[in-house]
Amino acid sequence: MNAAASNAVKWLTLAARLVVGGLFVVAGALKLGDPTAFATEIANYRFLPAVAPWLAVTLPPVEIVVGAALLGAPWKWRRAAALASMGLLVMFLVAIVHVVRAGINVDCGCFGGNTGPVTAWTAVRDLVLLASAALVFRGTKEYAK
Amino acid sequence: MPTVIRAIVLVVAGAALGLAGNAARPHGLRVAAFAPPTECSGAEASAPSPTVMSPTEASSLCGQPNVVIADTRPANAFAEGHVAGAVHLPCDAGGSSAVEALSHFSHAHTIVVYGGSTEEARPVAEALQHRHPDVKVAVLDGGFAAWSSAGLACASGPCDECKNTKAANP
Repeated sequence: MNAAASNAVKWLTLAARLVVGGLFVVAGALKLGDPTAFATEIANYRFLPAVAPWLAVTLPPVEIVVGAALLGAPWKWRRAAALASMGLLVMFLVAIVHVVRAGINVDCGCFGGNTGPVTAWTAVRDLVLLASAALVFRGTKEYAK
Repeated sequence: MPTVIRAIVLVVAGAALGLAGNAARPHGLRVAAFAPPTECSGAEASAPSPTVMSPTEASSLCGQPNVVIADTRPANAFAEGHVAGAVHLPCDAGGSSAVEALSHFSHAHTIVVYGGSTEEARPVAEALQHRHPDVKVAVLDGGFAAWSSAGLACASGPCDECKNTKAANP
């Protein structure tokens, strides 16, 4: 890879890290205020409803911690946060695909209440974020040694 | 420390913060007691069965402070005409909207549920009865059509108290 391409990848990785990290922090913060409403949003997915209240309580701070680590932690922890965010995004994707395939009309709950229904576009957005997180994971390999 | 272990540490730390924060909040989520809101798929068989109430009997309860009348039909049907004073509790309400609608029932001792027909409202009534076992839950016999045919009080327009309720059908 020549210098220009390498530089472009570095900037792209930085942008991906800021976008994914920022979105995780914002999404987590918006869901912190009303855990009961968020638990209901999760239960409406009809996907492991028994864990809905546990997820409602733990997921928002997990998103904030992972997002904050992506934005400002030491490199080894940024790489770990990228891996954790990939895991979370895969979990979200499984739930989204379940809802879309079952034809369940449910509010996304991705950024708190009333953020629009889950559609195929929600899955596309999740895949874009997953690819961005993967880029960050790959791009931080050199620095995390 | 391997990257995977660090990732697990981040997730566990966030989860621990969430559990501790919820425990410290005066009105935190009671995880063990959480019950999802009404679903149109029906309730568990062990729940008490709602009664069926005639429109005339239901109209005699109108205006009483602890009686709530709930309309389970879609928003467009609700806007075209509904029982005067009814709250809108459609089957397709999103999570926060459903919680908002359910807040009307916190002080009710009687809930009358109706839909387009008796059977349409029955699953919602059963779920409400399961959720509020100490409350008398009744299904309006014949649904809104019977109420309207009997010439009882009707109103039109969207639900003012539940503006966030979704209009779309599933």
